[in-house]
Amino acid sequence: MSRVQNYALIAIAVLLTASPSLAHHSFAMFDQSKSVTLQGTVKDFRWTNPHVFVQLLVKTESGSEEEWSIEMTSPEHLARVGWKPGAMKPGDKVTLVIHPMRDGSAGGQFISGTGPDGPFAGSPATNGESK
Amino acid sequence: MTLPRLALAAATLLGCVVSMGASAEMPDWSGQWENVGATPDASGGFNQSLEQVLTRMQWGPPNRPELQARVDKMVAGERKRLEAISRGEDPGGVDVKACTFGFPLVMLDSPLMFEILPTPKETTLIFSSREIRHVYTDGREHTPKDELWATPWGDSIGHWEGQTLVIDTIAVKSPFASSESEGVAVMAFGDVEGEQTITILSSQAHFVERIRMIDKDHLEDQMTVIDPNSLTEPWHVNRTYQRVAHIHRMVYEDCEGEERNPVVNGRFTLAPPPSATPKPATPPNGAPSSPSTPPK
Repeated sequence: MSRVQNYALIAIAVLLTASPSLAHHSFAMFDQSKSVTLQGTVKDFRWTNPHVFVQLLVKTESGSEEEWSIEMTSPEHLARVGWKPGAMKPGDKVTLVIHPMRDGSAGGQFISGTGPDGPFAGSPATNGESK
Repeated sequence: MTLPRLALAAATLLGCVVSMGASAEMPDWSGQWENVGATPDASGGFNQSLEQVLTRMQWGPPNRPELQARVDKMVAGERKRLEAISRGEDPGGVDVKACTFGFPLVMLDSPLMFEILPTPKETTLIFSSREIRHVYTDGREHTPKDELWATPWGDSIGHWEGQTLVIDTIAVKSPFASSESEGVAVMAFGDVEGEQTITILSSQAHFVERIRMIDKDHLEDQMTVIDPNSLTEPWHVNRTYQRVAHIHRMVYEDCEGEERNPVVNGRFTLAPPPSATPKPATPPNGAPSSPSTPPK
């Protein structure tokens, strides 16, 4: 199971606790129990705070293109494990393994992936069903 | 040379020697450091689940019985929150727009990298969230009570015992609390939004840390927490920090920016990217800028 910290916006749990909650920048919309493999073309690699995103164009069964938003974590965290702002470029053909959105919409949480130059930083072997 | 000038020259020379000696004694802790056990994995998440953080990292504060009962109740509530989050639901809360952990959490369980800058009179710890700890080692006492107020990082003084920095911290206020009376929450973080209250320290908590390099790639912080209001005895808790492997400069961890995780109808969602990019304020040719189109 992939684990992602999301302390990004720390919330106060006001239930008499005065304790921090990590709920706001949540990854709860992603189904951590499922992994899906996407093959597509990078439209944009948004090296942004608080989180980095891959905008990925994926061909559907009908032949049209569907844009997926793949959420990663912060530039600071990614840089610490070897990512760079130019790790993905528009036009790159990539394979990404993600935890999909629970509601079935075109989005997911990055787990691992492979690009034109091989596996991305720290990416383990891919798994999951192909999309 | 007159006597006064000789004295001045001697004093200056002595000052230089003292200063150089002090500088020479400063350990080289240069580089970036991260808390072992709170380091990112390939996707930038924790390497550890909440259960792993609870079992593999040292916790175990000697909470007073009445506090432990309160903590147990809070943990039960947190588990319910986590169950809601695991269903994709927002359990609610009030947002604090910052990556602020405050002390002692920033040392105990922050996933953010930091630098330590030792100088003879002050050692500064700078975290990528721009949290900063100032530790004064110039021989001063703690700030007088009539000039002191609690802050998320407290009032820290220190001294060197060889290559070990000994820090004494008081006047800590939780960045998550609206008043000092709410105490200082110490949490364990892990997993997907996993969190668990460990203890709630009082505003009278007193912290003593001994930070030293245990090998060329690891620092250790031996922390002792003294707080009779919350603890039956001093709480000894240690943390180890390792060198960051892939980046060798500090970067800003900004928790705001391009927000794409709005809560809609009580559920976490994923928003599309901004459809328009703001135009630069000044065109490359230096001509007056035209009114920019705000992002839609």
